[in-house]
Amino acid sequence: MTDVFWFSYSLSDFLMFGPEVFLRLFVRINQDFWPWQGGAVAMMVLVAGLLVRGDKPAKRAVLLLLAAAWIWSGAGFLMEYYGPINIPATWFGWAFILQAALLTVAALVWPWDGSPEKPARQWHAGTAWLAMTALLSLLAVAQSGNWQAIALFGIAPDVTIAASVPCLLLLPRRVRWLFLLLPLLWSVFSAATLWTLGTRLMFVLPLFTLVLTVMSFWFSPRPVQNRD
Amino acid sequence: MATQWTRRQFLATLAAAGLSVRMSALMAAPGAEAITRPIPSSGEPLPVIGMGTWRTFNVGGDQHLVSERTQVLKTFFEWGGTLVDSSPMYGSADDVMGEALDALNAHERVFGANKIWTRDGGATREQDRASRRKWGIDRFDLQQVHNLLAWEPHLETLKQMKADGDIRYLGITTSHGRRHRDFARIMEQEPLDFVQLTYNVLDREAEQRLLPLARERGIAVIANRPFQGGSLFRRYQSEPLPGWAAEAGCGNWAEFFLKFIVSHPAVTCAIPATTKVKHMEENMGAQYGNLPDEQQRRQMADYVAGL
Repeated sequence: MTDVFWFSYSLSDFLMFGPEVFLRLFVRINQDFWPWQGGAVAMMVLVAGLLVRGDKPAKRAVLLLLAAAWIWSGAGFLMEYYGPINIPATWFGWAFILQAALLTVAALVWPWDGSPEKPARQWHAGTAWLAMTALLSLLAVAQSGNWQAIALFGIAPDVTIAASVPCLLLLPRRVRWLFLLLPLLWSVFSAATLWTLGTRLMFVLPLFTLVLTVMSFWFSPRPVQNRD
Repeated sequence: MATQWTRRQFLATLAAAGLSVRMSALMAAPGAEAITRPIPSSGEPLPVIGMGTWRTFNVGGDQHLVSERTQVLKTFFEWGGTLVDSSPMYGSADDVMGEALDALNAHERVFGANKIWTRDGGATREQDRASRRKWGIDRFDLQQVHNLLAWEPHLETLKQMKADGDIRYLGITTSHGRRHRDFARIMEQEPLDFVQLTYNVLDREAEQRLLPLARERGIAVIANRPFQGGSLFRRYQSEPLPGWAAEAGCGNWAEFFLKFIVSHPAVTCAIPATTKVKHMEENMGAQYGNLPDEQQRRQMADYVAGL
C-alpha cells in the first residue's frame, strides 16, 4: 500500500459510531451511577477550596483528588462505556490510570521546597477553577439537549482533563511537562473525534484544553506569601 | 438459507415467525414480489436490498439503542430482506447483531455476510469463529476479505473453508473507490463469488472496469455506501424528485438512490445502513415495483448531477 493510498482516507473513515451513540454514553453513565454524582460535585468543591488554601498539604490533597478523578474517568467512562465502541478509548483508559499513579507519586513525594508556609488565600484561583469546571460540564448538556448528559469532573474524561491542567501548574515546570503529555494527546484525539462527529459545541472543550495545555508548558504562576 | 421465495411462502414464513406485517408497498401492489438477483456462482436468488451495519450497529452495551436497532432489523426482515453485512472492524456491531438476532430468533432467516479484517494472515479461521460466536450462528453464508487487508493468505484459507463447507461463498471488499486496479487483478485471477465495492449515483467509477468485469467473470456485486454515508440525503433531500421518478419506480429519494444502483445489470444488491425504522421502510421500498431502464438510469444520473 502506497502513501497515496493512506491519504485517500479521511477522519470519518476511522470513526465507527455516530453522535447519538456518543452522547448517550454520558446519559448512560449518569443513569448507572445515580446518585453518586453528588460525590463528584463535592470533589469539585473540595478541589476549589484546596486551591484557595494553596499550602503544601492542600497541594498534595489536590493532586490526590486529581488522581482519583483520572482513575474514575479512565476506568469508568473510557474503559467501560467508551471502549466498546471505540478501541482507542480503552488504551487511553489505561493511560489515565498510569497518569493517576504519577499524580499519586507526585502528591506523596514532591517536597515543594521554597513554597510559602502560609500563602495568601487564592480566592480568584479557586473560584475561577470552580466556575470553569462547572461551565465545561454543561457543554454536553447543551449539545444533547438532555440534562442527564451532564459531563462531570471525575466522570467525563474531557472535563476531568480540562479541569486538571490548571491544577498541574502547582507542579514546577521542570517536571510538569511529564504530566501534560497525556492531556495534549487526549485533546488532539478528542478534538478530532468531536469534529468528525459534528458535535461542534463539545468540540470547544478539547480545543480549550489544548490551548491551556500548550500554555502550561511555559507558564508558571508566582507563589504569593501571606502578608500577615 | 437460500431458497427462492414466492409471495405466498414469504408471507407464510412471516406469519410463522409471529412478525407483524407492515408492507404497504407489497399490499399496495397485489402480486408484487421482492426483486431478487441470482448469485452468479450458484443461481441462488438474493433480494436486491441488503443491510449494512457500518456505524449504525456499533452501540456498545447501550440496551436502549440495542432495542432500537433490533426493531430496525425486524423491519428489514418484515420487508423481505435477508443479507446483512458486518465486520469485526465495526466495534461492537457483531455483538449487537447477535443480540438482535437472538431477540428476533432470526438466525435461520439471515444471509450472514461478514469480513476478515486482520493483518495476521494466519488468523482467518479464528476471526471467522469469533464473529460467528457473536452472531450466534454456525456459519456465515459469505465471508469476505475486508479492504484487501492481507488478502492473499486470507483468500487461500477462505477457499479451503468453502471447500470444507465452513462458508458458502467468499469474496473481497473495497470502498471509497480505493485500490480498484488491485481489485480488478484479483477479480481476474481468483475464483470469487462476491465482490463488495462503492457504487452510487455520484460514485460511478466502478462502471468503467469493475462492474463489467464482474459480469464477465460471473461474480456477484454488493454495493456499499449507496447513500455516500448519508451525504446524498444531506445534499438532495430538500430538492424535489423529478416528475418522471414515479415512472422509474421511485416514490422517494431513498428509492431513487437505491433503484439507480440495483438496476445496474451487474449489481446483485445494495447494503444501506440506518438507525431508524422509518428509513428502513423507505429503503426496503426499493425492493418492490419496477426498476428504471437504461434510459431512465441515465436520466437519474443527469438529474442529480444537475442539481
